[in-house]
Amino acid sequence: MKRLILLIAAAVAAWLLPYGLGGYAIHVVDVAIIFAVLGIGLGLAMGVAGQINLAQIAFFGVGAYAVAILTTRAGLGFWTAAALALLAAVLVGLLVGLPALRMQSHYLGIVTLGLALAFVNWITNATVAGRAEGISDIPVPPLFGVDLASEYLFYYVELVVFALALAFALFLTHSPLGRRLRAMRDDDLAAGALGAEIPLLRMTAFVLSGLYGGIAGVLYAGLIRFVAPETFSIANMFLLLAMVIIGGRRSILGCVVGAVALSLVREALLDVSAYAQLGYGSVVVLVVVFAPTGLAGLPARLRRRRAAGARAALGSFQPYDRVHDREDGRTDGQARDRVGADAVADAGVGSGADLLEVDGVTMRFKGLTALDQVSLTITAGEIRGVVGPNGSGKTTLFNVVSGFYTPTSGRVLFRGREVTGAAPYRLSLLGVARTFQNLRLFGDLTVRENILVGLDRTRTRWVWRYLALPWSVLGFERVLRVRADELIDRFGLRDFADAAPRALPYGIQRRIEMARAMAMTPALLLLDEPAAGLNGEEVRQLAAIVRSIRDSGVTVVVIEHNMGLVMSLCDRVTVLSGGKVIADGAPADVAVQPDVVAAYLGDSMSAPSRTAAEPADEPAPESAAGAATESATESATDSAAEEAAR
Amino acid sequence: MFPARFPIAAASLIVTLTACSAPGQQSGKQAVATGPIKVANINAQSGQLSSLGKWENKGVKLAVDEANKAGGVNGRQIQLDLFDDQGDPTVGTNLARKIAGEGYVAMLGTAESAVTLAMAPILKDAGIPNITSGQSPKLAALKSPFLFLNAPTSVTYDETLAKYLVDGKGYKKIALISNNGTYGAGEHDAFLAALKSRNVTPIADEAVTPDQKDFSASLTAIRQKNPDVLFVGAEEVESGLIAKQARELGLKAVLAGGAPMGTDVYVTTAGADNAEGSVISSPYLSNDASQASKTFSASYQAAFGEAAELHGAKAYDGAKILIEALKQTKGAGGRPLADAIRAVKHDGLLGDFAYDGSGVGIHATQIGLIKAGKIVAESAG
Repeated sequence: MKRLILLIAAAVAAWLLPYGLGGYAIHVVDVAIIFAVLGIGLGLAMGVAGQINLAQIAFFGVGAYAVAILTTRAGLGFWTAAALALLAAVLVGLLVGLPALRMQSHYLGIVTLGLALAFVNWITNATVAGRAEGISDIPVPPLFGVDLASEYLFYYVELVVFALALAFALFLTHSPLGRRLRAMRDDDLAAGALGAEIPLLRMTAFVLSGLYGGIAGVLYAGLIRFVAPETFSIANMFLLLAMVIIGGRRSILGCVVGAVALSLVREALLDVSAYAQLGYGSVVVLVVVFAPTGLAGLPARLRRRRAAGARAALGSFQPYDRVHDREDGRTDGQARDRVGADAVADAGVGSGADLLEVDGVTMRFKGLTALDQVSLTITAGEIRGVVGPNGSGKTTLFNVVSGFYTPTSGRVLFRGREVTGAAPYRLSLLGVARTFQNLRLFGDLTVRENILVGLDRTRTRWVWRYLALPWSVLGFERVLRVRADELIDRFGLRDFADAAPRALPYGIQRRIEMARAMAMTPALLLLDEPAAGLNGEEVRQLAAIVRSIRDSGVTVVVIEHNMGLVMSLCDRVTVLSGGKVIADGAPADVAVQPDVVAAYLGDSMSAPSRTAAEPADEPAPESAAGAATESATESATDSAAEEAAR
Repeated sequence: MFPARFPIAAASLIVTLTACSAPGQQSGKQAVATGPIKVANINAQSGQLSSLGKWENKGVKLAVDEANKAGGVNGRQIQLDLFDDQGDPTVGTNLARKIAGEGYVAMLGTAESAVTLAMAPILKDAGIPNITSGQSPKLAALKSPFLFLNAPTSVTYDETLAKYLVDGKGYKKIALISNNGTYGAGEHDAFLAALKSRNVTPIADEAVTPDQKDFSASLTAIRQKNPDVLFVGAEEVESGLIAKQARELGLKAVLAGGAPMGTDVYVTTAGADNAEGSVISSPYLSNDASQASKTFSASYQAAFGEAAELHGAKAYDGAKILIEALKQTKGAGGRPLADAIRAVKHDGLLGDFAYDGSGVGIHATQIGLIKAGKIVAESAG
């Protein structure tokens, strides 16, 4: 209700504004609104989707120039030209976005900057674009007899367009698509593993950016009725960038505030414009250093400073309903019974079908063979442990199975279908979920949003609904939120639901990552060192959670160094060494094989044996320490390999 | 719920009340018959073309100060305000609206044709006469009744130049180098048209950018064609750099160009030796050409402590014409002022002004040669 009143007050103020303004002031406001629309477009691409886009000013130019050329040279009506101009801007957005499929961050910035320069170069030299003199005499847009040559009346046209553009942008950022875009911004690998089609999302970001640039360009052509290359120069791109950064690029409203504020400041500094650029530069530097979230982020920063303290506690996990009722009615407390002789008999338990088949997979990185003819079969309903010394290829195996790497040779079959080299999002949608050894939560999304990203199982081509059926998107979002609440309660995360994950303790982050993976309702869950960095109690809870997950019908593969946990939890264990499978079988059998013992010799950890295979709730102190150091070293090498594979 | 609804109801009431009348400025140009007459001078004071803008402003200021000292217009002083367009047409359109909203009766400037072109429709709608220092033929093509040029268009400059070089001297091997800015492109097109009408095809036609500093690639290509004449279409500093680098590369061709090459900036940038023999088409060859220009340059020197040159002179002429017209209308602006400007016959520094329907007042330039760093009128064309 409070929001509604604010909204109505803002609308009334905007409606009445022209009555209090002089002829020049209204012009300044008109220009500021155009920059606000541009700022929203840049905010969507850069702030929300994380795509460094320095070609926004070129999209703006394409929109304005397309209107100018089509009306003055081709004699089209203003609104026909405007529609075509939007189309042109979107197409240019797609074109500029293409490099984003292959590169990111500063490389993308350089490429988009180059394309923006190319555009300015073209309009300065092309006769059709009027060269340096630009194009004047763009006709006044006709509107049912309303004289839009009056800047006061044009203001209302702008206001309506701006309100729609802003509403759509806000709707988008708070919708599943916007959440996926933000997830991609924070961590594109994890977003891919959660079912986000990264290439399509990147193109979506550039299309949106182009669309908003085009809208701003059309408004500009209608308002100024003149276009020239200087308006679309790199200096103005910098100004636009400054608007978005000062306002707060991660908030659409921040972008609007920044754009309007800087437009007005620029107007005030018109007489000292020689030094104004210097001023903008300094302000941007100050903002980036002292308030990286911009003006929009200030209230939250202040609030956080005040609201320190009041530690929330991790709630207990509520087990899933069992799907396969086990004949012995085992509970967590009885888990230790499975270690030992019983485990051998138990190993085959499950629905029996082969869920995942890795067949002769070899993975080479420039001379380093990380996996060498690895074959293994995971049966539906089992918990499979994958162990081995550092650098034995465990995480590489996960990366192959979850689609991050395409193996050099060999096949991967999931539910009997060949999925070798399929994109991570494809595998995710098929039912393969994973967690990451070195935690890949979306840092700027709340815990709830992290889980919502996992819950969203739609394909990106679903996006047509955002334009055609926005209410169906809202309905879908409501359903997702209910399910997110269920998951949050199940994993005991109620107290942190709206916190940013990076501020939370490590153990809780591990729990969130698992909840997020389970949000995908997978058939196969890959856990990469889920116990790394957890204390004894947390490891015990983890074992309970993993068992419950398996009992709900999900097959689990777990890489783990904590031998106590592996021995007690897993139905079967596969041992990798030097990229080869050296043993495969029930934990107790595998632990005594000479090859396995040899592989572990010289390592800080003693070779696992029947006596060492203790229950999960009492991990041997030395093995916990060994696990910690190992995971640290391995995570370093793995992340390096992941970078290389990008 | 009620307290929440009340403001909405109140607000909607206000909206319905006010919505009856569209907002707008209450007839912007109130005819003030007293107080100073407001004249705007819009020129680039920052950015690449700021030197032009500063010269122009000095010329305008000199004329206005003289008029004010002599009692102003019908006893009213002229208030001259300077605005910086940054050489950016969009800023120009903003300023056009600004001066329209703030009751200026006339505008002087800008030196950049692109900016003037952008402002022209707005000033025309607002009924503000504008005497520009731009010389693009497109300005004349607009045929706006409120737009006047204080110099000939590029067509005149280059027609005179081509006549001298081709018809008079018989040069046929002509190369062009010009920048793709408004001025350079205008010069290029006008000179090319003048050559074409004489059935001369340039043997080289190189384009550079206005902020380029190294022209060796273009000049080397031109040198291979071994031209008799190198036409330069660029502003002062760039023309000077081109001349300097051309000579350093051993290019022997006669350098020819428009007004920028008749300035000290050109000569000092190129170096007197390199500039030697440059052929210039300009309506204002030197400060010593006539009694009027001697007087002008002396007062300019006294006021600003530097030598006068073409841009100051043409801006001075423009301001003089405006002041003359203001005296006719007794300080009134709008259409009467535009008509009065058109009617002014002014014997100025650049020649005899007599405006035609397209706003061009001068239709001839002279040919000058640079000799020992000084520009000398070439008597026989």
